[in-house]
Amino acid sequence: MGVPFEAFIPYAIMLGMFGFSGAALSKLRAMQNGGKRARHSVDTWDRQMMDRDRRLTGFLRGQTDNVRAPAGFELSNPWRIERAFI
Amino acid sequence: MASRQPRFNQQVLIDTTPLPDSIPKVPEIGSSSAPLLSASYFIGARCKAYNDDYMLCKTESNGKGETECLKEGRKVTRCAASVLEDVNKSCLQQFREHWECLDNNNQQLWQCRRWERPLNKCVFDNLNLEKKIPGAPTNEIPVHLRKRQIFAHSIATQ
Repeated sequence: MGVPFEAFIPYAIMLGMFGFSGAALSKLRAMQNGGKRARHSVDTWDRQMMDRDRRLTGFLRGQTDNVRAPAGFELSNPWRIERAFI
Repeated sequence: MASRQPRFNQQVLIDTTPLPDSIPKVPEIGSSSAPLLSASYFIGARCKAYNDDYMLCKTESNGKGETECLKEGRKVTRCAASVLEDVNKSCLQQFREHWECLDNNNQQLWQCRRWERPLNKCVFDNLNLEKKIPGAPTNEIPVHLRKRQIFAHSIATQ
């Protein structure tokens, strides 16, 4: 007796739909991250380093391996200020 | 980590007055996070003395370290810049492959051991700097030398 392949068609459809949405989300995440995989479990150290990368290269996920920073880098670290309540 | 004081800010101020001329000018390091992480153990191998000096100065200065430890900080910057320059000159290909892998993998060193081994070998041959993990127990193989990385996603990158 043959294999009842018509019974597997719904499973194939479900698998295909899950696969398609997973691939599309992954592509969207890669486009948002400059072609790289997204960062997860980002703690304060990572946030601070990513901020430094943005000051160095202009992109949050940009990387360079120059030895010297561009001119003005040492002055571009911002002071975070808030209005005083009195 | 949850016990840090929150600091909320509405505005940001960028102060563009440069440092006074009495302070010697040292160019800042221009590498971003992934190359720095990749070269960090080599920087530690060559600059351990200067780094320890700087950390000791900051600990002993009781909050005034930003202004009092500038001299030690200049030494740290110069030493790290020298390591990065040497790595760029002699092992650029392996270095780039390693930090590109790290950048793709959430800066996790255990996902990229396959590219780390040729980099370690090249740096050891050319610059005589060996990666050692400080504080590792001596009776076990260090994690970066093990054959199987238990947390890596795939066998291909181990």
